Amino acid sequence: MTDQAVSELKSRAIRPKLSRDDWVMRGFILAIGAWLVVTLLLPLYSMLSKSLESKDGAFVGLGNYIEYFSTPALFYSINNSFFIAIVSTLITISLATVFAFILARSCIPGKAVFKGIALLPLLAPSLLPGISFVYLFGRQGVLKGLLGDYSIYGPIGIVMGEVFYTFPHALMILIAAFSIADARMYEAAVALRTSRIRTFFTVTLPGIKYGLISAIFVVFTLVITDFGIPKVIGGQYNVLATDIYKQVIGQQNFEMGAVVSVVLLIPAILAFAVDRFVQRKQVAMLTARAVPYEPKPHALLDKIFFVYCLIISLMIVGIIGMAGFASFVSFWPYNLELSLKNYNFDLMDGGGWSSFYNSLKMAAYTAVFGTIVIFTGAYMVEKANGFKIVRGIIQFLCMIPMAVPGMVLGLAYIFFFNSPSNPLGFIYGTMPILVIVTIAHFYTVSHLTAMTALKQIDPEFETVSASLKVPFFRTFLRVTVPVCMPAILDISIYLFVNAMTTVSAVIFLYSSDTTLASVAALNMDDAGDVAPAAAMCMVIVATSATVRVLHALLTRGLSRRTQAWRQR
Amino acid sequence: MNLVSSESLEKQYLQIRNLTKIFGDFAALKDVSLDVFEGEFVCFLGPSGCGKTTLLRAIAGLDIQTQGTVEQEGRDVSTLPAAERDFGIVFQSYALFPNLTVADNVGYGLVNMKADKAKVSARVEELLSLVGLSDQGDKHPAQLSGGQQQRVALARALAMSPGLLLLDEPLSALDAKVRVHLRHEMKELQRRLGVTTIMVTHDQEEALTMADRIVVMNKGVIEQVGTPEEIYRHPASLFVAEFVGTMNFIDAGRGPKGEVVLGDLTLELSPREEAKLNGGDVITCVRPEDIKVRNVDENTVNSFPVTVTDLEFLGSFYRATLNNDTLLNHEIFGDFSINLVRDRDIQIGNTIRVALPVNRLHIFRKGK
Repeated sequence: MTDQAVSELKSRAIRPKLSRDDWVMRGFILAIGAWLVVTLLLPLYSMLSKSLESKDGAFVGLGNYIEYFSTPALFYSINNSFFIAIVSTLITISLATVFAFILARSCIPGKAVFKGIALLPLLAPSLLPGISFVYLFGRQGVLKGLLGDYSIYGPIGIVMGEVFYTFPHALMILIAAFSIADARMYEAAVALRTSRIRTFFTVTLPGIKYGLISAIFVVFTLVITDFGIPKVIGGQYNVLATDIYKQVIGQQNFEMGAVVSVVLLIPAILAFAVDRFVQRKQVAMLTARAVPYEPKPHALLDKIFFVYCLIISLMIVGIIGMAGFASFVSFWPYNLELSLKNYNFDLMDGGGWSSFYNSLKMAAYTAVFGTIVIFTGAYMVEKANGFKIVRGIIQFLCMIPMAVPGMVLGLAYIFFFNSPSNPLGFIYGTMPILVIVTIAHFYTVSHLTAMTALKQIDPEFETVSASLKVPFFRTFLRVTVPVCMPAILDISIYLFVNAMTTVSAVIFLYSSDTTLASVAALNMDDAGDVAPAAAMCMVIVATSATVRVLHALLTRGLSRRTQAWRQR
Repeated sequence: MNLVSSESLEKQYLQIRNLTKIFGDFAALKDVSLDVFEGEFVCFLGPSGCGKTTLLRAIAGLDIQTQGTVEQEGRDVSTLPAAERDFGIVFQSYALFPNLTVADNVGYGLVNMKADKAKVSARVEELLSLVGLSDQGDKHPAQLSGGQQQRVALARALAMSPGLLLLDEPLSALDAKVRVHLRHEMKELQRRLGVTTIMVTHDQEEALTMADRIVVMNKGVIEQVGTPEEIYRHPASLFVAEFVGTMNFIDAGRGPKGEVVLGDLTLELSPREEAKLNGGDVITCVRPEDIKVRNVDENTVNSFPVTVTDLEFLGSFYRATLNNDTLLNHEIFGDFSINLVRDRDIQIGNTIRVALPVNRLHIFRKGK
């Protein structure tokens, strides 16, 4: 058939009649699309345009950028941010690669415990390590001597904090990468009498290549966009994320805040783009026929590995434990008597215990509504017929949040929702805007989790329902949701814990009625109430941990009921 | 195009006219027309990418054609979505709802019709006994074997008493033994219920044993429509001859009077094949099992000597590789019974005389 004949046929193509299901699905898709446009695209757009305006709203082109780059105090932060990000990434990746290798490929005892400890930092706000280091290495720190003449306030403290904070993120990616090894490749290497070293470089390393690259970019992005650690322990050492905060909160210079945001957005987007590119390749490497690798014990190596894991785990526990201990000490370092004095939040600035209840509420709303919006959206994008272009656009929009630092998103929300001409302005300063920004901030990972689960479901379920004259939403509720329940719970717990611990996006958006626990911790630390800040962090850690445990119990209970079909 | 339209007693159920389906700039179906009669079992047979699944999905309204019409029971359904058409469907993957019991799967569509509970469970019971799974209603699909799961899928597809049953490679995921067994059962069930059925398969044995009629497809067009015997005995094209069953292809030349010759041997052909002849070189085809050895001598029509160069034991018969350098452009296969091999002392290296029976020889023009 010639090209011309094809295009002629297409132009005369018959128009299929849409079923009621098609209409409903398209309605949902448009609604999700509109949601993403309003909560993501428009705010980012208003931030970009703000960076091109003067204080009184006149268009000044690149004027603000020129001013930014001619102010050394400001653009030095770019150097600082990159320096911190590169050093932290190198350290985190080296430590995490070895840790992941040991967990995936050795026979040491207590692997589950080590893994559990290594993932603990996920439960804490990023300022916790900062606070802990103040107690460990600060002016009155217990281990101050270890640092000699160097000060913890500055690059050293930031890098140490970032390593603590990003370690579990890198670890999860790397464990996954090490776990997909094909045992047959190692058997082939042994059969060909290849040395262990050569096997490592020719089989192991190429096998984790993509996971390694991915981990590098994830850690890099996390560090360069993090705000909590440099805020608490950075001292006079400025980075991009703290600059945004200082410009906006300290100097009320919103335009310059927008400029710094755009500058911060660039490396984050680049890192994200490379990561997506690499991830796409990784999928192609997995084959269904691979045989899982079974590690074999090795007396000496296993001893060394065990000690390594023990040291790392002790350091993690030590950092959290230090903050925990300090939170119970009456008056560091003069009165070491233990008390609950620091937990009397209502006596300090920052919002008191009500900020904790706000956080709980915010996290619960985020988990419930976020999971509904994100999972339904993913279902529509994955399972709808036709409407390809719109679905493609939505799929793209869903990826954006990953590349947008929380600070930048929060600032963008100010510009968009606080604009007098915005009819949605009434949510500014309320609980809903905190929930919405948090959902938007953590959209990508949740969306990808939902997509992965949905892709594992037989694509013909909707076809079968249609042939049985059952509307799709019935099948969605009766089959898709129960089958995907583990993924749905994962998404909700991810949203809950992140909503509990996040500082960056919400710091610009809370009001006196909606102070949050993580923000309160930051503000108390700012005001010099470091011990109460540590106490608030511990409350957050305890809450996240409790919810995680409940989640594990719930998942087990649920899987007995809804996942009974998984057992033969 | 091979339209079977004049079979007087049979009632047309599906009328497919000039169907074309284009994906991007690839034409998956090119102007396909076909009639399906009420109660018959039709197989779409062809290699992967031939358009058979595309045709099935167009009939179901899952991927609606770019051009052309589909009429079901006199109703034009060409543009209707799947939900507004009348069919039940079974997939290769079974597509059973894993979290529902077997009974809930089978009753999935019935519950939605707001029929009362007792009626639904009676119907489910009836369907389950129909597919021989009466006592399995409370189990989950994962607790059943592949063959049992496919029966559940079949029961579910039949639950709403559809006028048309569509089977998309339903047996391909099963073990060979289960497949053969289920093949019989499904055919039997279809005959008993009299439901018009279309099955897509790439397995010719499946098509030959199950179908009332086979539609052989290749590159988006229908090559031949016919009963299994017609397809096997009288392939309408070189593609069908090659795709269905085993076939020897022998290049033949043309004599001065237009006769078909192998070297100095003039082939005698049936009138049916004679009629297909016009100028140019041809390919003659003969199935290995049709090569004759008994009662063949110098005077037998289409006979010539061959050397046995290989003898492969295949259980119930031997496949012999036969060669004749002067007549044949390459070796051919002959399938010989165990008895024959013993009686005639057929061994590697021996020379025997074989004949190509007149009514078993097919002729196709070369290069087509």
